[in-house]
Amino acid sequence: MTYLKPLPQIEPRNKEFWDGLAAGEFRVPKCDDCGHYNWVPYPACRSCLSENQTWTPVSRDATVWSFSLVHRGPGAFNDDVPYAVVLAKLAEEPRSCIVLGNTVGIDPNDLYIGMPLRIVFEEIPGEDVTVFRFAAADAAEPDDADAALNVENQPATVA
Amino acid sequence: MRYKFGSKCLISPAPLAGIERWKPVARPRQAAIAGVYTTKQGKLPDRTSFSLQLEAIKGALDDAGIPIEEVDGIIPMSMSDHLPGTTAHQFWANQLGERPLGLMEVGGASGALAKAALAIENGMCEVVVLFYGKAGSLVGPRGTAMPDRAPRVPDWSFYQSGAYMTTWYALWAQRYMHEFGVTHADLAEVAVFTRHHATLNPDSIMGRKGDITVEDVLNSRPICEPLNLLDCSLDNDGGYAIVMTSVERARSGKKEPVLVLGGAESTYTDFYVTINDPWFPEEGKAVRRATERAFGIAGIQHDDIDVAGLYDCFTITTIRDLEEMGFCKLGEGADYVKEGHCSLGGKMPTNTDGGLLSNSHAGDPAGMHTIEVVRQLRGECGERQVPGAKLGVSLQQGWAVHGMAGVLVMATE
Repeated sequence: MTYLKPLPQIEPRNKEFWDGLAAGEFRVPKCDDCGHYNWVPYPACRSCLSENQTWTPVSRDATVWSFSLVHRGPGAFNDDVPYAVVLAKLAEEPRSCIVLGNTVGIDPNDLYIGMPLRIVFEEIPGEDVTVFRFAAADAAEPDDADAALNVENQPATVA
Repeated sequence: MRYKFGSKCLISPAPLAGIERWKPVARPRQAAIAGVYTTKQGKLPDRTSFSLQLEAIKGALDDAGIPIEEVDGIIPMSMSDHLPGTTAHQFWANQLGERPLGLMEVGGASGALAKAALAIENGMCEVVVLFYGKAGSLVGPRGTAMPDRAPRVPDWSFYQSGAYMTTWYALWAQRYMHEFGVTHADLAEVAVFTRHHATLNPDSIMGRKGDITVEDVLNSRPICEPLNLLDCSLDNDGGYAIVMTSVERARSGKKEPVLVLGGAESTYTDFYVTINDPWFPEEGKAVRRATERAFGIAGIQHDDIDVAGLYDCFTITTIRDLEEMGFCKLGEGADYVKEGHCSLGGKMPTNTDGGLLSNSHAGDPAGMHTIEVVRQLRGECGERQVPGAKLGVSLQQGWAVHGMAGVLVMATE
């Protein structure tokens, strides 16, 4: 089944991020001068306005900061309703990094604010993109996540 | 309360707790809203966005009694798709008869109108028209077609996660309910009072369906939990326009001028991309900033306001509007609504036309709240008229959830 959900336009300014996902890393621009992480990536650090930022792999630990169960989806997403959209807060401090995304292997009804998450990766067949999803923190690593792929209500999953 | 040109600028009200006051500046002229117009709102399959915009421009000028020849400022709230590479104001400058126009846009409806008022007061232009019209497209997910391959979108776009506007407000509502112990039933109160107002507005889309209850909202089908169908604004076609000029010019028009006492706009973040923690800081964000500026410039206090039009794309939005604007404390917006203050007969009837939830939400409806406040101040609202309304305020907000705000304070002469 072809993946029909929107995917990113990969360009020089964001290629490091998408290459990172393919390499099993979630890279966030970290300011060389003040040390703050910035999400979403901006051309300069929001804390000190330095343009010296380095794509830096983060811990991939996060918690649910907010979430919604979506019952009417745009385009191909409508085949997956209800699916979860979460705002996940990365463990990295002090500037908050709040990342929007979908879950994998989590029953949407089990979601709660504060729930520990871990960023995992999913290669999109037939496309040059690996994307990220949020799994439960205690879920299996991607290598043996095949079982998780069978859980229902996963917008991320491609059969 | 009577505001006169020149005299009101000398009023120096007592400071509000926690709100900085600006010393009102004496103005060379006073701006006023002279005309407003709304096209039919709803499903308009036989109309185009352009024809709704043109109808709205002509209609508002006719309401003002001002000919098109006098228009020299424009706030086009839509893109122009007629001539690629041509901005909307360039397109309209020629479409309206090779008219020399100043672009008065920026800041959403109330914020753009605030800037237009400054332009008029300082002689940059004489007659400004704000307008919008949209037909044949939808904002919500029904408007998205199934592609035959994965579409490519900007790098951090929420489209990749199957999110859309409703999802963002649902995430906002979920976090808000968590932080302040507010329930979905609390949010639903907003849908109930605005629907009641709509039943008194013969032009509203949902009024003919009658009143609803909190239970109706809770039992309507979920769209993006915790928001159900009746927590969401409509998604319809329609157009509207507003004409602003000097109070002197407005006085020689058809309708009683509605004075613009002041306004402001503020933006704190981007287009549904970056969210920072906290989302609900005690000191407020863009809406607070715009409100403090606007009320300071106008020299008014919260209790002075007779009627309000507060952006209500979702039930949560109105509750947050009330808190950010300082009508109640953080976390107490739903209590303010439940106490009846926003209902007709309450101390500040709000969204008396039925709002975006039950009157109309056509594409970018940011000017609709201002239009209803103008009609209230003119005494044109029939069954839903707020008796003796003399001072009104409109709030426009949008982008990344309360990300950009405009506030406009209006009064009778």
